[in-house]
Amino acid sequence: MKISLTINQTLHELDVDETTPLLWVLRDELGLKGTKFGCGAGLCGACSVHLNGNVVRACSFPIKFAQDANVTTIEGLKQNGKLHAVQQAWIEEQVPQCGYCQPGFIMAAAHLLERKTNPSDQDIDQSVTNLCRCGTYERVRAAIHRAARFVSHESHEAH
Amino acid sequence: MTTATKTVEINRRHFLRATALLAGGFMVRWEIAAPASAAGATVITDISDAKPAVLNPWIQITPDNWTTIVVSQAEMGQGIETTLSAIVADELGSDWKRVRRENSLVGPAYQNPQYHWQFTGNAESIRTFHDYVRTLAAAAREMLIAAAAARWKIEPEQLRVADSFIFDDRNGRKASFGELAVAASKIAAPAKPKLKPRKDWKLVGGVELERVDIPAKIDGSAVFGIDVVVPNMAHAAVPFPRAFGATIERVNTDAAKAMPGVVDIVVLRQALTANGEKSDAVIAVAEKYWQAARALSAVDVSWSPPPTGLFDSKTIEAAYETAFAGKPFEPVVHEGDADKRLASDAENVVSAEYHSGWQAHAPLEPMNCTAFVDGDRCTLWAPTQGQEMCQIVLSYGLGIPKQNVIVNRTYLGGGFGRRLIADYAALAAYASRAVHRPVKLIWSREMDMARDHYRPAFTQRVRAALGADGAPAAMEIKLVAPTILRPVSPGPFPNPKIDPLCVEALDEIAYPIENLKVGFHLLDVPVPTMVWRTTGAGPNFFFLESFIDELAHRADEDPYRYRRRLLAKKSGNERLLAVLDLAAEKSGMARPANDELARGIACGFGFGSYFAQVVEARVTDDLTVDIRRVVSVIDCGTVLDPRIASASIASGVVWGLSQAYAAEISFADGGVAETNFNGYRILTLPDAPPTETHFIDSGQKLGGIGELGPLGVPPALTNAIFAATGKRLRALPLARSGVKFRGSNNLA
Repeated sequence: MKISLTINQTLHELDVDETTPLLWVLRDELGLKGTKFGCGAGLCGACSVHLNGNVVRACSFPIKFAQDANVTTIEGLKQNGKLHAVQQAWIEEQVPQCGYCQPGFIMAAAHLLERKTNPSDQDIDQSVTNLCRCGTYERVRAAIHRAARFVSHESHEAH
Repeated sequence: MTTATKTVEINRRHFLRATALLAGGFMVRWEIAAPASAAGATVITDISDAKPAVLNPWIQITPDNWTTIVVSQAEMGQGIETTLSAIVADELGSDWKRVRRENSLVGPAYQNPQYHWQFTGNAESIRTFHDYVRTLAAAAREMLIAAAAARWKIEPEQLRVADSFIFDDRNGRKASFGELAVAASKIAAPAKPKLKPRKDWKLVGGVELERVDIPAKIDGSAVFGIDVVVPNMAHAAVPFPRAFGATIERVNTDAAKAMPGVVDIVVLRQALTANGEKSDAVIAVAEKYWQAARALSAVDVSWSPPPTGLFDSKTIEAAYETAFAGKPFEPVVHEGDADKRLASDAENVVSAEYHSGWQAHAPLEPMNCTAFVDGDRCTLWAPTQGQEMCQIVLSYGLGIPKQNVIVNRTYLGGGFGRRLIADYAALAAYASRAVHRPVKLIWSREMDMARDHYRPAFTQRVRAALGADGAPAAMEIKLVAPTILRPVSPGPFPNPKIDPLCVEALDEIAYPIENLKVGFHLLDVPVPTMVWRTTGAGPNFFFLESFIDELAHRADEDPYRYRRRLLAKKSGNERLLAVLDLAAEKSGMARPANDELARGIACGFGFGSYFAQVVEARVTDDLTVDIRRVVSVIDCGTVLDPRIASASIASGVVWGLSQAYAAEISFADGGVAETNFNGYRILTLPDAPPTETHFIDSGQKLGGIGELGPLGVPPALTNAIFAATGKRLRALPLARSGVKFRGSNNLA
């Protein structure tokens, strides 16, 4: 099928099998390899992207449902070449180990902070359901709290 | 590939030079092991045109004064790319900001210097490479100094090295490594380079460096195996039947071949996939991965059941039972007369059975490899812990010389032992051979679960008699487990009936036990088995440190003080006592704690390091467990980078809790019942506790870190559960016994 959607602020017109999961469109059609294949069943979250303001697990999201959608992937998280607050916090807390699942965590964390500027531990428990086999969870939590402090600091500066 | 001939020649020269600079044992090995393409075919080939000057297989320097360090060890999350290159840069005297890293190919200079085999695992990458790479770096530094001394016609002793420059302070001049490197590369390597004393280390030994791989891992640009792109590449997907050893009875690929984008459907029969293992497989090759995955559903294939039958978990459990019921046990330790002592005190003998369940590796990056077989050459791009294993398996599997198999290593999306073997690489190569194109083959998660080589269940039975002081006077331990070493080790076992990794921790018990008998039965099972993070030490410490806890309670003694009293009776336990004491101190186990938390402790020695860990948890009578903190104390001799090492220990704590809590593989219909992360339940974020890690700097020989973090966690946890409830849980995973973690509502 022919489909058009916006990915990282660029409009794409594609002709792909309608059953193709968004993940494989991103990876194989558009070369956006930062979104990862982990389980193919929406269980691990390695393929998390933002779609129309929600976090979706791209491995289980057929492209036919993405007509005219607005998608942000890990590659689109930087703004004007500047790291997102979550990415900056991820570096400062030295979160990743193997790093494979981390784009998914970062997308989930960025979405959480859009909804809640100062999330509690409980908010994090409920919102970040990604899996990490290396066990970086403790630093994921710390980095989300740190990113929240950046965001609140930046919004103070802006006012 | 036009530079190949030149590469061989130049590399041979490097190889000979590198050989000359190392002591006898290494030299013999290299002469035997060196293939024609020897060390480091990654090196850019020509020195004479002033590209990088190659000082040895690990070190290259460019005229713009950058140091390139060729790293042999796979970066799979443990931070080795950072720490290993920091060791080299520090010894060499390079400016850390002007250091690049490359992944090595296969070559003798990249083999583990103790095992003469190129792999990443077993917490080896620091402890066995530290002196080796420092020697290479020190030799390169002395060659650079010699080049400067020759240029300035002064004595080398007058020169000083810092930040990629050689300084002649007396005459107020300096020269960069980049200016000197070509001349240095022509100087014979010193036979015995002088290593920097510890006081002069600047990049390692208590220094916390930012990991060099992290920037690329937070913006999606890091290249894992699954991200490799090769021109004209096709994509492949593969199904296996559930049953291990099933063969193709009948297959019709016509419909699948007609699917959109399909290049070919490749049918393999008894293809060599791993060391001594052959498999049937159907591989769909298509232009895009999703097309290949879709085509699989159109393949009409029926599988013959394997000769081993359609067993299930009960069948496997019965095999363990049968082994205990009368199979021979090979003596591992035999000190004193345990039989006699146990018989003399029969009514007071304490006996127990411990069990650690089956585990999958399940790294988040599924198995994948990109391969291009072109005539008698095979090039792989693989996220592998076993580059040399890939080379050997494909050399046999394709019938081509070993040196014709080029194995490029990418970042690994987790390893944990799984990527030591070459099964996934072999399938990619066979698919490429069939379609005459580069092929990236990706396993689904379902295939990853169905065709792992699993950490087998370990079952220990123990009988002990206590002396008047409550200490064990006699102990008989019987262990039943299938092999974990054989699929990853090229050589035979010293004793064919003892897998040396299966008996780890039981072959050197730190507690003084006058009459000790440890026996092992190597079980045959129709399931592929292999090492998994913690190897045999994990399940054996679960048993040992739980059982010691049982004995402490029987002696009506605090578990920490009981351990302390026993360990103090035996010489050589000083470092173990030190980590135990500090763990008790830091966790509040040393004094009665005025809180509602239960505490469990465990300690031991493994992978060259000492550990003690305390789990602090709130445990209710219905076995709901809320872990508040895990304290780890480690003596690995000297910790090179405390932050990277702490992260590894914290990672290990989660690994230990995963297997202790709910993760387990079970069997049905001759294969694995779990198909994805909804069945194989690893720990989730809400259940990951705060961790606290302390290092004791004993200044002793460096020990391992990567395997260490999980070791004490399962017994410390079950010991805490006992402390709170009086219930002794002897089988992992604990979810089987009704244990619930706080965040378990997140589990499917």
